[in-house]
Amino acid sequence: MNDMMGLIYTTAVDSLGELTTQRGTAAVPVCARYRVIDFMLSSLVSSGARNVGIIMQKNYHSLMEHLGSGKEWDLHGKNQGLAILPPFLTRDNVGVYGGFMDAVKSNLTYLRQCRERYVLVTETGMVYSARYDDMLKQHVKTGADVTLMYTDDPGVVRSGNSGRYLDVDVSGRVKDIEVEPSLAHYRNTFMECFLIRRELLIDLVDRALARAQHHFVRDVLIGALRDGSLKVYGWHNPGKVWKLDSVQAYFNCSMDLLKPDVRKELFNTERPVWGKQRDDMPTRYSPNAVVKNSLLADGCVIEGTVENSILFRGVRVQKGAVVRNAIVLQDGYIMSNTHLECCILDKGVIVREGTKLIAPATYPTVIGKNMII
Amino acid sequence: MLHKKQCVAMLLAGGQGSRLGVLTKNMAKPAVPFGGKYRIIDFPLSNCANSAIDTVGVLTQYRPLELNAYIGSGAPWDLDLNNGGVCVLPPYQTGASGEWYSGTANAIYQNMPFIQQYDPDYVLVLSGDHIYKMDYAAMLRYHIEKGADTTIAVRQVPWEEASRFGIMNTDEEDRILEFEEKPKQPKSNNASMGVYVFTWKVLKEYLTRDEADPNSHKDFGKNVIPAMLGDGLKMYAFSFNDYWKDVGTIESLWEANMDLLTTPLPIDLHDKKWRVFARNVGAGPQYVSETAEIDNSLISEGCEVCGKVHHSILSTGVVVEEGAEVVDSVIMPGSRICAGAKVYRAIVAENVVISENAVVGAADGDIAVVGNNTVVPQGDTVNPGEQRAAE
Repeated sequence: MNDMMGLIYTTAVDSLGELTTQRGTAAVPVCARYRVIDFMLSSLVSSGARNVGIIMQKNYHSLMEHLGSGKEWDLHGKNQGLAILPPFLTRDNVGVYGGFMDAVKSNLTYLRQCRERYVLVTETGMVYSARYDDMLKQHVKTGADVTLMYTDDPGVVRSGNSGRYLDVDVSGRVKDIEVEPSLAHYRNTFMECFLIRRELLIDLVDRALARAQHHFVRDVLIGALRDGSLKVYGWHNPGKVWKLDSVQAYFNCSMDLLKPDVRKELFNTERPVWGKQRDDMPTRYSPNAVVKNSLLADGCVIEGTVENSILFRGVRVQKGAVVRNAIVLQDGYIMSNTHLECCILDKGVIVREGTKLIAPATYPTVIGKNMII
Repeated sequence: MLHKKQCVAMLLAGGQGSRLGVLTKNMAKPAVPFGGKYRIIDFPLSNCANSAIDTVGVLTQYRPLELNAYIGSGAPWDLDLNNGGVCVLPPYQTGASGEWYSGTANAIYQNMPFIQQYDPDYVLVLSGDHIYKMDYAAMLRYHIEKGADTTIAVRQVPWEEASRFGIMNTDEEDRILEFEEKPKQPKSNNASMGVYVFTWKVLKEYLTRDEADPNSHKDFGKNVIPAMLGDGLKMYAFSFNDYWKDVGTIESLWEANMDLLTTPLPIDLHDKKWRVFARNVGAGPQYVSETAEIDNSLISEGCEVCGKVHHSILSTGVVVEEGAEVVDSVIMPGSRICAGAKVYRAIVAENVVISENAVVGAADGDIAVVGNNTVVPQGDTVNPGEQRAAE
């Protein structure tokens, strides 16, 4: 048991094309049977957190439905458990959050009534699993005011110029932060996840907003590094990290799961990833099924060929269909004599007989939810 | 004070299931895994949930640990309610005495106070050893329409098998005239499914009377039902002719699993309107490798398949290594079939390791069984019909 709560700030940016037109990144289905937020929730729970607040943004319907009472993550407690924090309008509140600081400000009452000493704050733009308990141990040991999680996973650094990069010295102390440079000077990517004393967070947010500062990293942290008012440390996440900032990145993340070492790390039986259950029956392979190097959830019925692909729950692949290097979300229906390659099919897509859909591996095509092609 | 319920279900889950041999060495029969991700008890519990029967007493006695842990708060079946829900009922001590359940009727008798809390009009009595999807609400409506004292669910079995069952002889209105337990010369092929609806007032009276009879076996089939018939109560047969399978023996458990590999499915577990619920174990998706060959099989989440799987069922978290072969078999949760091992016509229970080049069963012959937590050593052989258990 430790003294840490979670605060998940669901990212509002819609960087995954068609996949994020109707849902935020937190609710994007990943890894055959999860949504992005399941990884943060499960890491929190397996790190001993019993209390998690989730700051919702636009398009939060899909996320609300997914979370329910929090039971799947054992977060359906009475005093503690899951608190859903959507934007709301009052005399002091403007409704839609302008950013993380606004969101915290709108939910100060919630944060004040929590009892935990520490808050683990994380965004939902990355897929990772983390031992937040180890991060907390380091945070306490170093006496840091803020501990920032970072990765040096080369896949993440390469993925575009929207990142924030940290200069961390040998003692783990953060010397400098770069925000969205066109060329990164540091190889450590900040994972939009940090640990802080709950009361300090409240205080910092309150003081910054009173001075018209609206960005936590850019205004508060960089300012504090400059004047030395906060002890900022970095915690290195040793695991695999994927930044979901493009369709290509989403595709690569999924395909990485076909590697045994990646799966072993992500689906560690001692720290299971919990997701919403749907009570599908196990997957059925017909006498004609040919499945190679693929990841499948429950409830699929396979009569055709599936190679190097990820199939979510309830996907049907009929006789004579070929699904290769593809990601098929929940309840996709691939009819007979079709050929799919390098496609991402959102939920409930139907591919009619005889259809061929072949995209280049460097530019996977997304087919929107419930489309019939 | 609990609110009144129209119907309370009592699920008899205390039997040892000795005909399942090593599979029930350390767990009660209803906790035995089935169909990849289920346990036998998921079927009656899901039937209750889908039939809007939200108050279920589960009577346990033999090796209840697995079963209790599995049922937990009842949340997987939406049976974690303030008023009603699922309640595990083990035998208990009272001031003067306290005793084990001595028969099915005695088990319900000892828990009459549990039922009485809900002041129900009807009691549904179920057993925990069958695979079927049944709308108990339809049976209850039938019971009410007929104004019956007792309704017994029956199904037509092949005539040659009728002498293995409790057989109901009915008139053209489906009123039960006669009940014969395992008759040598059956007069009908309407077999009892072990699913009963009783009018609570009537049941209460008969249970009390049966309890007072020192010669009674305290059993529904042997004592209570015949006594009710003898008194001319209104007893009706409710026909149910969908899929129903007794899984009380090694062979029938194996067969019922294999039934899930036929097309079309004899029992539709894809039906979104009638889900069969099971406890979530947090397993990841299943992975099928480049070297895997899978056909005509049912594979659950958390499995890792690199070998050959033909006409088999792999439960949650099973690993089949490269070069291993699984044919006509049921592998229960968490077991590993190592490289070069062969498993034919077998039931391999939970957390078993079949080491390299071991051979379990044969292409024909009786079903081989390997009990929970057993390690079959490298190159060893488990013969057809053999039951291997851990020390």
